[in-house]
Amino acid sequence: MRLAVLGLLSVAVAPAQDGLLPKGSVGIIVPNDSPVVVISSSTDESRTALRGAALMLDLHMSLTLRNVGVNRIHGITLRVVSQEVTIGGKASVAMPSLNIGPGEVFPVRIDAQLMRPTQMSAGPLVEVSLDGVLFQDLSFYGPDRLNSRRIMTAMEKEAQRDRDHFKRILAQGAPALQQAILASMNRQAERPRLDVRVIPHGPAVTSAATAAPEQAQKFAFLQIPDSPVQPVQGWAMVSGNEARAPRIEVKNNSSKAVKYVELGWLVRDPSGKQYMAASLPASDANLYLPAGKSAQVQQETQLTFSRERKPVNVQGMTGFVSQVEFADGTVWVPTRENLSRVMLDKVVPPSAEEQRLTEIYRTRGLNGLVEELKKF
Amino acid sequence: MRHPNQATLALHAGGDLGKFARWKLERHLAKCDACAGEVAAYEATRDLVAGLDDIPEIPWNHLAAEMKANIRLGLAAGECVRAESPLRLPWFSTGRAAVACASILALIAAGIIVEGPKPAPLTVLAQPMVEATDNGIQLTSGGSTVGLMNRGVKSENVSYLPNAQGGISASYIDPSTGRLTVNTVYGQ
Repeated sequence: MRLAVLGLLSVAVAPAQDGLLPKGSVGIIVPNDSPVVVISSSTDESRTALRGAALMLDLHMSLTLRNVGVNRIHGITLRVVSQEVTIGGKASVAMPSLNIGPGEVFPVRIDAQLMRPTQMSAGPLVEVSLDGVLFQDLSFYGPDRLNSRRIMTAMEKEAQRDRDHFKRILAQGAPALQQAILASMNRQAERPRLDVRVIPHGPAVTSAATAAPEQAQKFAFLQIPDSPVQPVQGWAMVSGNEARAPRIEVKNNSSKAVKYVELGWLVRDPSGKQYMAASLPASDANLYLPAGKSAQVQQETQLTFSRERKPVNVQGMTGFVSQVEFADGTVWVPTRENLSRVMLDKVVPPSAEEQRLTEIYRTRGLNGLVEELKKF
Repeated sequence: MRHPNQATLALHAGGDLGKFARWKLERHLAKCDACAGEVAAYEATRDLVAGLDDIPEIPWNHLAAEMKANIRLGLAAGECVRAESPLRLPWFSTGRAAVACASILALIAAGIIVEGPKPAPLTVLAQPMVEATDNGIQLTSGGSTVGLMNRGVKSENVSYLPNAQGGISASYIDPSTGRLTVNTVYGQ
């Protein structure tokens, strides 16, 4: 009976404490010398609610930014950090493939959810700060705490690659472009997808204690012809549908020193179907790989794979080099031709730009897509 | 399908979930093999932990009293040795004193061993975990969650890419801005 009364009280009290986001709950930090300024911000649709002993924050934030610099902006990343420092997590909202001229304004939207077991305390619950701005000439502004320079430069290189690809096809005529974009849409729809859970530091107690025993499984490698870095050998610990602690030795075959390598990690299920499992970045923030030298790319993370709520057991693994940053700051990404040559175009996700261009075709039609390609 | 967090599964495995939450979770478990497997693993761990508690009861008070008595006996014996010649107390020979001291030492050693650091019980740590949900990416850690949502976008139009460094990215066209947006949640 007491339980029932308490339950009713909880039900009665909880909605009463739901409400609008208190003023000052969200902090926005943009440096004074930033090439963008905040013209307006709104969190009108945001709500807080108490659910039992937990505080739930449903943040819907609209920002309007203006390019007050002299260069065209091609990408921006905002860092989103919750006050809950013990969780150790952070997030970012990036907008690549922009084309914002000096004086122009553009919207940014952030939708976040936060739930924590304590009451609200003083200070902003969420802090949004500028992490970086990438310009048309690939120069960069910002504190770059999330490696936004490299990430956005790689996205911009992929964007240039894919725009050039579709522009070349457009040169053959609009019907050819339409055919190519429809083929891209089909590829995206048919690409096999996995649901992946990521445990950053590996398990304390494996959930697969009763599952298959863990064993070291070797990677097979796809050698991309023009890759400056080649994978040599590698393995990960695999147990059923879990894989952890990947380690891959790579060799710098180029004439330039390398400071970052990222590999693509494919897994194969027992039926032979391949999925893009994850990207595998170099863990060493101070990596310096001179020409001709080798290094190891490794992480301690555990990945758990499933599809349609059923575990997908790992039968085989394949790796390939997907991104290289040289010591001089230039970035290499594979060409579309080489991705296609090793059949990766059917497995890896489309670039952000290809996703954007197909969406333009879907919403604005062929003419809209042609107009968009002509802007760059 | 939104999966319950690890804490909820662990509470359920231990029978510590409230009635409504238990009913709700059992409905989910009936449909989700992955979560049912997690609960089974927790239950197995719990049984193992319970087994560790099966150390026989030890009468600490009795042992302590016995140790004190033996120490007092040793001290008294020492006084006796100092006060009078051992030859006049044949029941307290050097050999017997040695045996008594050895017994005391053995008792102290046993006390240290039994009272010393016990193996830590198996506990399921609240590991940070990042996963894609029906409408975004979520980091769960110690009962807290932080997530970025793909508002107004169908999940089939979102391209998720996990990162073996401990995060997941979701790229999609934001319907409210018409812009390509890449949300990333980092687990560390």
